[in-house]
Amino acid sequence: MLPPFDLSQPQSLADALQALAGKGDTRPLAGATNLVPDLRGKRETCRDFVSLDGVNELRYIKRDGDRVTLGARTTMADILDDSGIRTDAPALYAAAEIFAGRMVRTAATIGGNVCCGSPSADTVPALLTVDAEVTLSSVSGQRTVALDEFYIDYKKSVLRSDELLTSVSWNVPPQNSANLFYKLARRKGDAITVTGVAVMIAAEDGVCTRARIALGSVAPTVFRASAAEDLLAGKALDEAIIEQAARAAADQCAPIDDIRASADYRLQTAFSLTRRLLTQAWKQVS
Amino acid sequence: MNQTEAFPGSIANVNLRQVGKNKPRNDAPTKVHGKAIYAGDFYMEDMLFAKVLHSDRASANIRNVDISAARALRGVHSVLTAADLTACNAVMTDLPGQTGGGTKDTTQPILAADRVRFHGEPIALIAAESYELAQQALDLIVVDYEDTEGVYDPFDSQKPGAAIVYSDDNIVADYKIRKGDIEKGFDEADYVLQNTFTSQYQEQAFMEPEAAVAWVDEHEILNIRSSTQVVEHFRAVANALGIPHNRVHLQAPYIGGGFGGKEVMTIEVWLALLAMDTKRPVKLIQTRENSFLSHGPRHPFTITHKTGVTKDGKVTAMKIKLTSDAGAYAKLSPYILLYATVGATGPYRVDNLWVDATSAATNNLPACAFRGFGTMQANTACEAQMEEIAKLIGMDSLELRRKNFIQPGDPNTTGQIIRSSVWCDQCATQALAALGEQPSNSEHLVYGHGIACYQQSYGRIRWMKDTSESWVGLEMDGTAIVRCAVTDIGAGQMSALAQITGEILGVPMDEITVYFGDGHVNPLAGTSTASRALYMSGKATELAARAVRDNLLQCMARHFEVSPDELDLADSTVFVLDNPERRMSIKDMVKLCAAEGVHRHNLSIFKAPPSEGLDPETGQGEVFPDFTYGAHAAQVSVDIDTGEVTVIKSVGAHDVGQAINLRAVEGQIEGSALMGQGFALSEELILEKGVLKNGSFSEYLIPTSEDVPEIQSIVLESRSGLGPFGSKGIGEPVFAPVAASIANAVADAIGTRIHDLPLTPEKVLRAINENKASR
Repeated sequence: MLPPFDLSQPQSLADALQALAGKGDTRPLAGATNLVPDLRGKRETCRDFVSLDGVNELRYIKRDGDRVTLGARTTMADILDDSGIRTDAPALYAAAEIFAGRMVRTAATIGGNVCCGSPSADTVPALLTVDAEVTLSSVSGQRTVALDEFYIDYKKSVLRSDELLTSVSWNVPPQNSANLFYKLARRKGDAITVTGVAVMIAAEDGVCTRARIALGSVAPTVFRASAAEDLLAGKALDEAIIEQAARAAADQCAPIDDIRASADYRLQTAFSLTRRLLTQAWKQVS
Repeated sequence: MNQTEAFPGSIANVNLRQVGKNKPRNDAPTKVHGKAIYAGDFYMEDMLFAKVLHSDRASANIRNVDISAARALRGVHSVLTAADLTACNAVMTDLPGQTGGGTKDTTQPILAADRVRFHGEPIALIAAESYELAQQALDLIVVDYEDTEGVYDPFDSQKPGAAIVYSDDNIVADYKIRKGDIEKGFDEADYVLQNTFTSQYQEQAFMEPEAAVAWVDEHEILNIRSSTQVVEHFRAVANALGIPHNRVHLQAPYIGGGFGGKEVMTIEVWLALLAMDTKRPVKLIQTRENSFLSHGPRHPFTITHKTGVTKDGKVTAMKIKLTSDAGAYAKLSPYILLYATVGATGPYRVDNLWVDATSAATNNLPACAFRGFGTMQANTACEAQMEEIAKLIGMDSLELRRKNFIQPGDPNTTGQIIRSSVWCDQCATQALAALGEQPSNSEHLVYGHGIACYQQSYGRIRWMKDTSESWVGLEMDGTAIVRCAVTDIGAGQMSALAQITGEILGVPMDEITVYFGDGHVNPLAGTSTASRALYMSGKATELAARAVRDNLLQCMARHFEVSPDELDLADSTVFVLDNPERRMSIKDMVKLCAAEGVHRHNLSIFKAPPSEGLDPETGQGEVFPDFTYGAHAAQVSVDIDTGEVTVIKSVGAHDVGQAINLRAVEGQIEGSALMGQGFALSEELILEKGVLKNGSFSEYLIPTSEDVPEIQSIVLESRSGLGPFGSKGIGEPVFAPVAASIANAVADAIGTRIHDLPLTPEKVLRAINENKASR
């Protein structure tokens, strides 16, 4: 059963930030789809939460030229219902599509998924491949941080306890690009990712102009396989170079054994799925 | 041979008006509208709420349990430990029911006294003004454990020097079969193939966790309203409490699934103790996490098959060794092992047979009844072995099966002559055909088809001498009442009785009220287990309804001046068969008969065919009333980079004897397709030194709605069963072949066999890679 906890229910962003500023160990609560199992499973020790349920001003999808911004309380279902995300961030759309199960998708938010800091958070690899940035707000102001610099370690980020992640934004990918995501899990619905891979490949005149590879569940945090990306940029891709890049991506992994899979299996699939997605992406753009 | 002749009582060519039709179940409206009341929905004045302290370790001595702080907490009314159970601290966990059975030691402490033997063993019971308070009290209890060396593997536990968990040797049960001449059988073989297959713990994962309310009423009767498959547990509760049987009133409302997990007593005796102690109603709904620890999951089995076969595909000998992990207490392990022993050869005739079966205790979770009850595990191994034999001798696997299917008139593993139809061939042929063409392999995906057949008993072990009772009556307005204490565990047990009664008395289903689940105001029907509810309570209801019909028609025969067999009942009227113009409403008929003092109701008992047990040296004898046969086929794809398996199409084809309600049959087939898929691919309780590591639905992976394949049900009706209208039991049978068919499809897709279930992506990928390396 759920342990007792305190819950404040601000109706505006200003009040929410105020509530977070007040105390030390206070945490925001959005869809609570991770939090409730963690509370029941005694993995979550915090007992003082600020509900964002009434903070509707954080639930939006906005476009300004090439810039797309999601309010932190945008749910997975909102992402799927929006007509544009499928082209504005195809990997994010794909991640939202197979995110948990239908019930969870109506509650789980993009802000919650990013902030939970889990290496298996499915939207994070996708967002990393579009160079997403996050806005962190507090009563004393706001700052924008590249998502790539957001995580420090397992479930640790640069987010201060008085700060709230209020939005996620990115630039729409270039014309000739492919942006893919693959979630490997032990079942299709409501499963925790064993290996997650997202890639973005942009090409011009038969040359890869931008490569992004991000991997989930294979290290303490979701991360960008930068060495692999560097191998691809500026080259015409072929089987050999893709294989080399996939190998470099796998080399950057630091997976663990757990009840879902062994580290070895995660390494193998990080390699094969990176190779697969890069091959598919290159096929789409060339 | 007309196979329906096998049973003299079976009904061929009968024109059925209600039975077998797609009638909406009469429990559907209340469930669809959310009005159905389940055990956890009851609230009573002054009700207290219970919590149970479960052991968090698997093997330890208890030096002390300090409950002083918990007892002192305001709002806490009772904290009970073993120290409080001075008169009796044991509850029977043997096969429940009217006549009992009894194996060597199937009692279990109600609360652990000086030792815990498994993770989850109950230590203390708490009743308080709220769940929150009860939880607070629970958190205040200090158990001083001394960890002891445990044993966590059923092979280790049989070795000299192993920690002793049960009896003096950890052997919970053993059986053997010695039949024919095993040496000669292997001599006659052109090929001999040996394989070992292992299977895992599976959790029932019923939607409704254990829930009950207990209270002592104004007549000093202990009442328990519980989510149980077995209202006959009132006897075990009374025995445990040392009170007369007739002072315990156990009722079962609608139940949100059991699958065997609510067969042995779960929380009833705990609530009984708290209600007696506090003199107030006490309620408990187990959390999902505690539910995982509150009933016995499916037994893991290790099964070695050594099979002799000729190059023409005739099996000449089978030597089979079965080992199950009973966990820390016996519960139903001996019976489950017996089912596995009888089912060891699947639906095949094997004249030279040698089976050794052992169930050994460990400090793992005590395993217990779960749909399939050992037969399913045995069948899964046998059907994998048949597939491997076919591959070895280069024969189509269905063709191999055809050469070995048992036939009516043949003796089975224990020498029992098969009496009803065996339509494995028809079922397998139709199921495979329904799969259609196998898609061609693509860059990352390989496809496979798999088939599995089965034989699964329905009805209880015959030396239990099982009976069921039911009462049927017609009211003065022409409506009908059935009184039968069958528990309705969600499969339509109650509705089926209305359909059967309606057929016989000519009354529409919606004019029949069935009182069920309450064994103190309704005749006892026996358990909703062993695929026996429809067979036994259906048969008792059929007998009662026929007796009422006979009474009334005799009276009406005088009125119409015809013989009773010239009359029929349908559409709420009685009429002369060859002159339907001569008719009367049932309402008028009842009035007329009542005026003449004719009995308008009847209480009937149905007795299953008894037997006297097995010869302990040869394992020969009659074990079950009858068997259901059929097949399941599956089409899968396997991702060769990741090992992920997707079930694309899942087809169950079964000879159900006679469908009583076709939709209910399809419901069973569809549910079993998913439950079997979970067993084949993703479900597995993971224990580390006996401690459950994935006791929640985020880590224990039953198939979700997004994992559902295309499911097709093919229902065949031989009308050769022992149940009403020639029906057979189907609840467990339809599940028996599913996992095997999926495992066979995966083997077909990747070209190699994985001997260890479940087929996780990791195991599948490893097998693919090893297979690649060995080429």
